[in-house]
Amino acid sequence: MTAPIVLLIFGVSTAALGPCLLRRLGWLRRAPRLGILVWQALSALVVLTVVLAGLSLALPAIPWTTDVAALIESCTMALRAQYSTPGGAAVSASGAVLALSVLGRIGYCLLRGLHISHRMKKAQLHALIAVARRHRDTEALVVDHPSAAAYCLPGRRGTVVFTTAALQALDEEQFAAVLAHERAHLRGRHHLILAAADALQRAVPRLSAFRIAYTEMSALVEMAADDDAVRSSPRLTVATALVRLAEQSNTPLTALAAGGGTAVTRVRRLVAPANPLGPARTAVAGMAAAAALVLPLFILAAPAATTTQHLLCPPETYQEISPGTD
Amino acid sequence: MQRLGELEAVVMERLWVLEHPVAVRDVLEDLQSERTLAYTTVMTVMDNLRRKGMLVREKDGRAYRYRAARPRDEYTADIMGQALASSSNPSAALLHFLETIPSDNIVLLREALGGRNTSDEDSHS
Repeated sequence: MTAPIVLLIFGVSTAALGPCLLRRLGWLRRAPRLGILVWQALSALVVLTVVLAGLSLALPAIPWTTDVAALIESCTMALRAQYSTPGGAAVSASGAVLALSVLGRIGYCLLRGLHISHRMKKAQLHALIAVARRHRDTEALVVDHPSAAAYCLPGRRGTVVFTTAALQALDEEQFAAVLAHERAHLRGRHHLILAAADALQRAVPRLSAFRIAYTEMSALVEMAADDDAVRSSPRLTVATALVRLAEQSNTPLTALAAGGGTAVTRVRRLVAPANPLGPARTAVAGMAAAAALVLPLFILAAPAATTTQHLLCPPETYQEISPGTD
Repeated sequence: MQRLGELEAVVMERLWVLEHPVAVRDVLEDLQSERTLAYTTVMTVMDNLRRKGMLVREKDGRAYRYRAARPRDEYTADIMGQALASSSNPSAALLHFLETIPSDNIVLLREALGGRNTSDEDSHS
């Protein structure tokens, strides 16, 4: 009974403290791809602990052995013991409901999000066929519009769209930089990273951890794409392109979120000389993320490992099956 | 499919320019000057466009006459409005180069760039 409680406490404290902790690690932004991975690990950790807590309530500690017959026998015994009392059955059932409803809700939100974005992309592509034209010899499409904007429609055949105002705002090199940035989004499948993060924040809207994770990850994918763009363009060109597009975009003020901060961070990051993360910190962060994900499994397995078959199975059953264990 | 998509664009281009409803045959004759097309191909394309809501048709005797449902600029504004509004971008359907920025934040952006004059491209070469 301790495993589910420890797991729940662990999950709640991870959700409460994790985001504050990660946001203080400014150096994660120096390696945006690693940063995305760390935020994904944090999100997965919260989900994993809750699901495992539910499962460990539903299934009592199973004494693991290598003997399959003995394992099945002890599993049956353990399950029978658990479900024979009304209290035990109620606890188990609520654990199963918890685990399944968490997974079901996240799965539903993910599918729904993907469906909605698929529909919107399809409508956009249909419309673009009629109103857009190809920009010279690139794959980019151009649409007549007075507000400067550049965006991509991710998918099997990704499409990059520029408005005419954006083309006017950018010179040849800046255009190439923006195109490289959008290509990086498409190549890195950044929309899937964001779709998963968005599903989590929609599944549990009250949990600030997932909201923060989504906001941070949307900033980090932009920085990752900027880092890709500076491989083919000077850093200053990417930064200038960003500011030029911002100057020429006359978006209605009502549509504004609390954004804007990311763009300033991106420009500062691009104007400063390249400052990638050293191998030591990369390794530490990678291992910490991996270790954090394994931890709940240990919490779950620890009591099971210490439980002996004697406690769960009547002695005669143990006697009967023990000759087969050699 | 690629070719049909391309034809859709060509057909819409014609119908947006014309101000009166036209029959499939008129569009076919118009396009025949540039390429050889079957009547059924043009008819399929125009019917696709009608089902997508881009064309409307009205009965004229035994045939139908088609016209653009909305003027081109109105249609474009609609589509771009949808693409640019952050509220209508659920689950990252589109990835923007830049999120929408309040105009007073542009000053911050220019400062971040180090006060460089962005309109003068030659200054930072």
